[in-house]
Amino acid sequence: MLPVLVVHGGVGIIPKERVQLSCAGVQAAVRGVYSKLQGQGSAMDAVVEAVTLLWNDPHFSAGLGSVLNAMGEVEMDAIVMDGRYLASGAVSAVRKVANPVQLARLVMDKTSHLCLTGEGASQFARSMGVPEVPEESLITEYARMRWKKNLAADANPVECQMGKMGTVGAVAVDAEGNIACATSTGGLLNKMEGRVGDTACIGCGGYADNRVGAVSPTGEGEAIMKVTLARLILFHMEQGRSVEAAADEALAYMKDRVGGLGGVVVVDPQGEWSVRFSSLQMAWAAAQQQTLHYGLYTGEHFTKNIDNPY
Amino acid sequence: LLTFLSSPVIVVHCSAWAIPDDMAKASVDGVKSTATAGFLAMKRGGSALDAVELSVRALEDNPTFDADHGAVLNTNGEVELDSIIMDGRTLAAGAVSSVKTISNPVSLARAVMEKTDHIMLTDRGANMFAESVGIPAVPTNTLVTECERTEREKAKNYAVEVKEGHDTVGAVAVDCSGNVACATSTGGIRNKMVGSGGYADNLSWAVSCTCHGESILKVTLARLFHVEQGKRAPEAVEVSLRYMGDRVRGGGAILVSRTGEWAAKFTTERMAWAAVEREVLWYGLNPKEEFKETLRQ
Repeated sequence: MLPVLVVHGGVGIIPKERVQLSCAGVQAAVRGVYSKLQGQGSAMDAVVEAVTLLWNDPHFSAGLGSVLNAMGEVEMDAIVMDGRYLASGAVSAVRKVANPVQLARLVMDKTSHLCLTGEGASQFARSMGVPEVPEESLITEYARMRWKKNLAADANPVECQMGKMGTVGAVAVDAEGNIACATSTGGLLNKMEGRVGDTACIGCGGYADNRVGAVSPTGEGEAIMKVTLARLILFHMEQGRSVEAAADEALAYMKDRVGGLGGVVVVDPQGEWSVRFSSLQMAWAAAQQQTLHYGLYTGEHFTKNIDNPY
Repeated sequence: LLTFLSSPVIVVHCSAWAIPDDMAKASVDGVKSTATAGFLAMKRGGSALDAVELSVRALEDNPTFDADHGAVLNTNGEVELDSIIMDGRTLAAGAVSSVKTISNPVSLARAVMEKTDHIMLTDRGANMFAESVGIPAVPTNTLVTECERTEREKAKNYAVEVKEGHDTVGAVAVDCSGNVACATSTGGIRNKMVGSGGYADNLSWAVSCTCHGESILKVTLARLFHVEQGKRAPEAVEVSLRYMGDRVRGGGAILVSRTGEWAAKFTTERMAWAAVEREVLWYGLNPKEEFKETLRQ
């Protein structure tokens, strides 16, 4: 049943004209990485590579095309977690890097800390030789237009954001049974400068434990934080719930208790996996053995042979 | 979900670590007076949220605890503070990380919770928000004690971490309406993430944790107690700390439930803590200590 890779391209409503490309994007990311997992690649390498591929794909509002904060800047959060030793690395509110998930991994591998923020994260990036990219290179016309629109006093950025994805993530269990997760985001549309959402917060935007499983969420960040969604799902799994039931129960709780919607990808050490979301859509794909699984709307679960390029 | 308690309860701590003997008395005195002040505020009708904020402010202002005045310096010689506050009734939370030049980060965290749609602000954005709500910046000098400056000079030859986990202060409380709240503040290693340094939920507990921040984050210590809901407070803390000790290393935590049960436990060498319940002040420093005295008002 091993290895397994599951990725998501964020919750939200994708405009019809982009549906094909978004679905193609998640499938391409999974296909591109799964063969390495089959070739004894590590779960950690797999999730970082998958998230990097999604991040670089302009059809997800992550990376190029990220939403802007209130000042019109791009501030990004990312997390990785290695289920073997509960090692983790995260960056929050970091600017002008091409791939915050890779910087998060450097935090894990090269420092004794778990999270670096803002200017400190940038300093660290420089010390690691991570090139600074101009802010302009991360901003699209579309993002700028939505930013302007949401500067109006009566705008509802959270609702507007549910109409567009901004977070990408992955979970994996490799052939040796090691588990990892990675999540990356441009954050919340028109957020305050310095706002950190769930993605950089261990237990909220991601969690991985070889003994239990891994989760990468997406959705309303503040709601995810209030219930520490990733950790909550794994608690339910520790108490014997299946990967689906654990996710459903936690998402329902989040909706009831704090009124938030979201979606998750989940995997356990035996290779059981699930994709659940309380929003209307979430572009996702998974690979296990010879099968590629994918879907977009609630209830969808398509499969095809992983070698089938169509 | 309404519970009415006959007595509010508060527990405070100022870090779980090997507190040196020459700081022991000041630490214990500090937590005792703080717990007393927090309790009296609730007796006068204040909420659990008010009590934990004022307690952590008092602990932040006390130079014996590095949490704020006396905070450790980062490699740039700056003071960077983290804080979290959480309301168990609604799960509303506010947190700040890496704020500089703010005297009481717990109050800034509360402002994030009450005046923004967000939970957490960091770095420059957090400082800008402080300015926008009229919380004044103070010069780094007032936040750094002579003691810390000397320590830093001595430790310059070592790697980034000057000290470990002994600069965190925290409080948990339940008021007469049965609402729980927590607050945690630190000048050092990050310990302010929701679910790690603190968590509060009326359905279970309010928790504030201390010790090596990275270890606490790895097990999301404050949130572990969720699993222990069926247990009595002291057992819940012990089980969670044991889990943390097995997976990473030792720490400390204080906890209170909406029914007024409380606990203060640690697997480090010492933790100065104090609690007040029904006009009785409890406190301790060394493992297994639980002294009590009648509350002096």
